[in-house]
Amino acid sequence: MLGKMKEVLAKITRAGTVDDALVKDIVRDIQRILISSDVNIELVQKLSREIEAKAREEKLPPGISRKEHLIKIIYGSLTEILGGESHNPRMDKHKILLVGLFGSGKTTACGKLAKFYSKRGLKTCILTTDVWRPAAYDQVKQIGQQVKVPVFGEDNEKNPITILKNNLDKTKGYDLVIVDSAGRDSLNKELTDEIKQIKSLLKPDEIYLVISADIGQTAVKQAQSFNEALGLTGVIATKTDASGKAGGALSACYIAKIPVTFISTGEKMEDFEIFDSKKFVSRLLGFPDLGELLKKAQEAAEESEFSPEDLLKEEYTLKTFYKQLEAMKKMGPLKKVFEMLGLAAMPEELVQTSEEKMKSYKFIMDSMTKKELGDPDTIKGDRIKRIAKGSGRPETEVRELLRQFDMSKKMLKKIKKGKRLTGQFGQLMKQFKGGM
Amino acid sequence: MFDFLKKKIGGFFKKEEETLTEVVEKPVSEHRAIEPKLTIATKLKKAIVRKAVIKEEDVHIMLEDFNLALLEADVAVSVADKITDDIKKRLVGKELSGKDDVKKVSESAIRESLRDVLKQEKVDFVSRVSHKKPFVILFLGPNGHGKTSTIGKVARYLQKNSLSSVIAAADTFRAASIEQVEKIAGRVGVKVIKQTYGSDPAAVCFDAVKYAEAHKVDVVLIDTAGRSELNTNLMEQLKKIVRVAKPDMKVYIGEALAGNAALEEAKKFNEMIGLDGIIMTKVDCDVKGGSLLSVSHVVKKPVLFITTGQELDNIMQFDEDWFIEKVI
Repeated sequence: MLGKMKEVLAKITRAGTVDDALVKDIVRDIQRILISSDVNIELVQKLSREIEAKAREEKLPPGISRKEHLIKIIYGSLTEILGGESHNPRMDKHKILLVGLFGSGKTTACGKLAKFYSKRGLKTCILTTDVWRPAAYDQVKQIGQQVKVPVFGEDNEKNPITILKNNLDKTKGYDLVIVDSAGRDSLNKELTDEIKQIKSLLKPDEIYLVISADIGQTAVKQAQSFNEALGLTGVIATKTDASGKAGGALSACYIAKIPVTFISTGEKMEDFEIFDSKKFVSRLLGFPDLGELLKKAQEAAEESEFSPEDLLKEEYTLKTFYKQLEAMKKMGPLKKVFEMLGLAAMPEELVQTSEEKMKSYKFIMDSMTKKELGDPDTIKGDRIKRIAKGSGRPETEVRELLRQFDMSKKMLKKIKKGKRLTGQFGQLMKQFKGGM
Repeated sequence: MFDFLKKKIGGFFKKEEETLTEVVEKPVSEHRAIEPKLTIATKLKKAIVRKAVIKEEDVHIMLEDFNLALLEADVAVSVADKITDDIKKRLVGKELSGKDDVKKVSESAIRESLRDVLKQEKVDFVSRVSHKKPFVILFLGPNGHGKTSTIGKVARYLQKNSLSSVIAAADTFRAASIEQVEKIAGRVGVKVIKQTYGSDPAAVCFDAVKYAEAHKVDVVLIDTAGRSELNTNLMEQLKKIVRVAKPDMKVYIGEALAGNAALEEAKKFNEMIGLDGIIMTKVDCDVKGGSLLSVSHVVKKPVLFITTGQELDNIMQFDEDWFIEKVI
């Protein structure tokens, strides 16, 4: 989606003049992109009519070219539909009930929410009422251990209401109670009744629907029917790290007027973010958000000794490279961060460097001299042999490390250039910063 | 089941028919006026007087509508385009005479195109599985699409066909995955071979195959962890499982709820691992059903089963003719 949206923008910048034909063409491209991202079809049609109308009728603001204006219209319409409001998580004492169909990721989301809030100082516990899925109780128990929060529930009780009644008292001393509910294949009467009972007994402050990012046109109906039956206060979009673009989930939220609260971005418990509409749309459109990049890098820097500024200022050495890899492991695929730069994508090979590889790289680098670490270009034939012997790793691996270092260095050069990007692209950036 | 797809495709014919009636009821002079919107129906009306050949512009609007109908039914964009193109090729240039039934002409074009997308060599699952002992089946796919539940259903299906099976609990990552598979296996009454969480899934598979050989079990069913198709490390792990377990059949589990991502997911798994068959799950949900077409199209391997409910017996063999009859 990202790449394609950039092509559309390029099409606008390349075009001689902005006329009806161009607008039509662009709108058609955007339609295809949105539909491939599972955005609701009716919404896509509404959006394209809006863009066309605005492009035709809106007066050109002073000091802005027709092309820039068109991009601004597109950006604005997309933000409205896909972005919505950024979520501001509440930090007071409250109760969250999670609902959703089979396999959407409810229980994992439970663990992620628990980790998110307990890290921020709320005394959190999980109560599970899922009696349907085989071994559901064990699953929540194990997740609770992982994120270090207590889990309440009963293994052999078959009635969710009984479980809730028996355990609700135990949750009294907690700031945040997260309640997991059972899923079904579809929202049938049985499930609705069950959750309604849970709702009236629990009196949750928030009811979040968990939707997978790969779900298609069914999303809208799913969100609507859950909303009608239960009154949702938010949506959590899961599995956004896979091919699913969450278009279904996002348009469902727009139509049902429910905010997206969190998105889940990977399979580890910390792969969980507050939904930030601006960030999401800028990622979607392939426009850089340097502020976000720096913030994310800084967070990772706190945990490792990596300073993102080193990348741009200091001479790039193997040491910085290693720290960068380390930080990357901590902040999740750096690829996303570079994608935010809208310029270069991190080579896949580097993003996926495994934990074991990281260990052997550390051994290899420990066997290098200070001079070699500072100036890896000097490492050739005999030195490679020596380093391999010293670290107990094969020569091929030493070469691999050097090659990856080179790759990363080259890419960094590109990014440094990109930072000073001016001209049309830079001006567009300014427009967005000022206008949005 | 597949009602939405039927509504979309079926409703489409109704529209064509209405146009036909409308045209028939109007005097000739009037139907000239609507000529810019020519459909096959109007073309046919003309053809009653003389023979007519379907031109591209005749079917343009109809095909655009049809394309949209497919997209609304969650068929991935590229597959919807392919099907629409294919129908166009079948229709454009076709000679119509007064005797031809418009509905039949376009219906058969659509029917053929769908069959083209779905057509794969027929697999008689039971006889294929009986071919070798133990026959090793690897189940793989994205998170939450229903691998573990499906394995229970397949085990039950095999049992009904007098084939014994053992399940390898090779999802050593997700919390309580092993307990889940054990509970499901307990319901069916088959053995589970397991190790501890975090252990090497390939080793679990190896143990399961060895167990099956020693105890003369007919089929080994391998339950792998769900994974994001974009995570190279996890895909490498899957490759390792394939190298060690040497499965005779690699089955992709995809859910019918998925939209366009269904195509990308299945494509990546197919490229990396090489799939031999598909099982489509959650078909009983309120689904649009189009992802079945997408997945089948990219993987180009037969859809072996669809699962249609939460009970162990809710699994049925898939048949493309049945599917086409269901949606047209």
